[in-house]
Amino acid sequence: MQQPDGARGGGRLEALPGKYLAFTLGNEEYALPVLRVREIIRMMEITAVPQVPRYIRGVINLRGKVIPVADLRARFDLDEQAYTERTAIIVAELAQADGVPLLMGVVVDAVSEVLNIGGKDLEETPQFGAGVKTDGIVGMAKSRGRVTMILDIDRVFGGDVAENGRSAVA
Amino acid sequence: MTEDQSRSLAEVEALLARLGCDLVLVPEASGDAAWRAGFGTVRTRLEALGGPTAARLCARVDALVGAASAEDARAAFDALVADVSAWRDGTAPVPAQGSAPDGASGIGDDDLEMLRADPELASMFVAEALDHLGTIEASILKLESSPRDAQLLNDIFRPFHTIKGNAGALGVGRVQQLAHTVETLLDHCRSGRLTPGPHEIDAVLKAVDLLTTMIQDIGPRLGGGEGRDVWPASLVLMDAIQALSAAAASPGGEPRGTDPHQERPTQAPALPEEPRRRAEDQPGHHAVRVDTRKLDTLIDMVGELVVAQSILYGHPAWQAALDERAARQLAQLRRITGDLQRTAMSMRMVPIRSTFQKMARLVRDLGKQAGKQVELVFSGGETELDRKVVEEITDPLMHMIRNSLDHGIERPEERMRAGKPPTGRVELTASHEAGNIAITVADDGRGLQLARILEKAVERGLVPEGASLTPQEIHQLIFKPGFSTAVEVTAISGRGVGMDVVRRNIESLRGRVDISSTPGEGTRFQIKLPLTLAIVEGLLVAAGDQRYVVPTFAVRESLRPAPGDVHHVQGAPRMIRVRDSLLPLVRLSDLFGIGASGLSPAEMTAVVIEDDGRRLALLVDRLLGKQEVVVKSLGSAFRHVRGVAGGAILGDGLVGLILDAGGVMDLTDERGPEYGGRPSPQRRAAA
Repeated sequence: MQQPDGARGGGRLEALPGKYLAFTLGNEEYALPVLRVREIIRMMEITAVPQVPRYIRGVINLRGKVIPVADLRARFDLDEQAYTERTAIIVAELAQADGVPLLMGVVVDAVSEVLNIGGKDLEETPQFGAGVKTDGIVGMAKSRGRVTMILDIDRVFGGDVAENGRSAVA
Repeated sequence: MTEDQSRSLAEVEALLARLGCDLVLVPEASGDAAWRAGFGTVRTRLEALGGPTAARLCARVDALVGAASAEDARAAFDALVADVSAWRDGTAPVPAQGSAPDGASGIGDDDLEMLRADPELASMFVAEALDHLGTIEASILKLESSPRDAQLLNDIFRPFHTIKGNAGALGVGRVQQLAHTVETLLDHCRSGRLTPGPHEIDAVLKAVDLLTTMIQDIGPRLGGGEGRDVWPASLVLMDAIQALSAAAASPGGEPRGTDPHQERPTQAPALPEEPRRRAEDQPGHHAVRVDTRKLDTLIDMVGELVVAQSILYGHPAWQAALDERAARQLAQLRRITGDLQRTAMSMRMVPIRSTFQKMARLVRDLGKQAGKQVELVFSGGETELDRKVVEEITDPLMHMIRNSLDHGIERPEERMRAGKPPTGRVELTASHEAGNIAITVADDGRGLQLARILEKAVERGLVPEGASLTPQEIHQLIFKPGFSTAVEVTAISGRGVGMDVVRRNIESLRGRVDISSTPGEGTRFQIKLPLTLAIVEGLLVAAGDQRYVVPTFAVRESLRPAPGDVHHVQGAPRMIRVRDSLLPLVRLSDLFGIGASGLSPAEMTAVVIEDDGRRLALLVDRLLGKQEVVVKSLGSAFRHVRGVAGGAILGDGLVGLILDAGGVMDLTDERGPEYGGRPSPQRRAAA
């Protein structure tokens, strides 16, 4: 997963204009393409699963389906924070090698709104220098006077949670 | 040599292979009209190739057909086959592998035009046709033992006719053409002009195979993919079938065909008398085709409904409610959801008959290949089990039957010497047994050869030299990975894979397989499977802030440890005495790295679990009860997690993990008595 800066994401503009679901982690705003969002649910009790990376919080019951839940704060190595009333789980579709999308819950601090991001609002991810992970950030959008980081959710979770899980255990 | 010529030669080879089988296996048939017609086709094909080599080969064919004795014919045949393959190998360009040009594919471009216009109709046609082909195959195999059964012939004729009609209506010309050719042959049989013998049955079976391939390829072809290269083979087959039909239609009066009562090397599978019509064929029963994904979704939703209902039922507001009518209505809702769940679950159940029928075909083909006489007898085909189990059990069954045919059943001469009937017998049975399904594969062959198995196991380093094992222990050795005693590697078995895969597959279905064998009398494999994979009965336990389900079949007992029975190693409880044995003791919260409750072992409960002869005591905070849970896969994201078999949605709608006893033990073994590796924060705190 750890790639040198610029090898992936940084320095190239890969995000496309369109509709994005914006959400926050602390003071930072991020966004996912709405097409990848299945639904948004309130924080609920999560069942822990052993032998997985720390950011995989476990599994939940999504109307009869058992799906994994990951904490985006933990994934980005941000300080842990107690879950609040505003904490939400975004159920997103991750692409998988076998073509069947994997549904995954992504825990975020709060969901803000759906943004309509036009081509002129988009900018490349700048090079932040060593030590700053831009992995999975595929562009920056300026709107409403603030900057929103656009995520490639497949890349954030390495496209395959299981492979991450294995390397974390090994 | 052009590619066309090379393909043509390949066809000749295929045709010769078929005729060759008959030559060896049905010597009585040599020289009959069908046989002559077959070689006639070979000759015509060779002639069409032209050139001196072809002429020489044609002469060989003439010599063969005119041979005075079976031995001469056999010799001439061998020479012919050798020449054809030498010609092909020596000069032919390597034919394109895999995908075929449109011309060779079973489904041509023209055939797809109408199907493209209506994909839904196309998929219905495919599903129905494959269904028909399945019933045809089963009926044909029965026909081998009763070739004059008019009802049976009708049962074969009608679906062919339907396939032909549908294919014609949808413009799938090649399918229509092949189906039509077969139909003509069958019509001769129906009208009594022809008695179906081994040639006719082989031809129809081959047509079923080709049609199946063609029809299976329709989906991929519509998706822009390539079809398989079966059209040339179909052309050859159609020639052969037409020859058979022509022979029947020719004036001569007497109905012909191979005498069905003569001794044949491969006996027809003697199917037990089963009602010919399935329940759904009877008036008043109708079946609809439903996408399995829709069915699975329905079952998921019903599961959710049951959970939602039980949450409502347990809600304090209801408990406090004094309105009797409301309480009665809630009870009614509870009954209905229960019935609904049972009905939904029963929709997943299918009879195992179709799998058994596949085995009948396998036994027939393998028996022919190996020159052994085998009959397959099956019973209990109506036994229903979970669709998923039926799908997953096919491969293991196939391996076991191959094993029986390859290692168990002897050649006819050997059987006669041993005073057994020359025809071997494989029995396949299914039945319900105390909430499980029992499937048995039994043969009357030579039995497992203990000395040879042991010798091989020592050679492979699976057991130390000089070890003394009980016969049962030796039997178990054949399930070890990489074990094989076949003297020669055959196409059927002997590659050292097989039985270990069988066991693994069965265990992954939460089943088990046992062997019993008597030297000289045969071998019996007994498989026990749960009725359904969807539900497991388990012990619900609490550990830390989590709940887990321990499947009841893995639980031996649970007990409150007496302080004196718990043995500590380096300050942590590691062993427990349960009656006379000392078992490893593991805190579940430590093993899974979850927050521990801080209870001492004497305040906790030890659940003794067993897997494959190993036992272990799992320390949990307390038992919460016994319950049936619906098993949910955790999905690909957690496929590397060990010790967990899946998730279950518990009564309150939250997920509890279902433990996998074998995985828990592997995990414990790996961590060693000290748990090795990285101690979890909880453990450090506890130590």
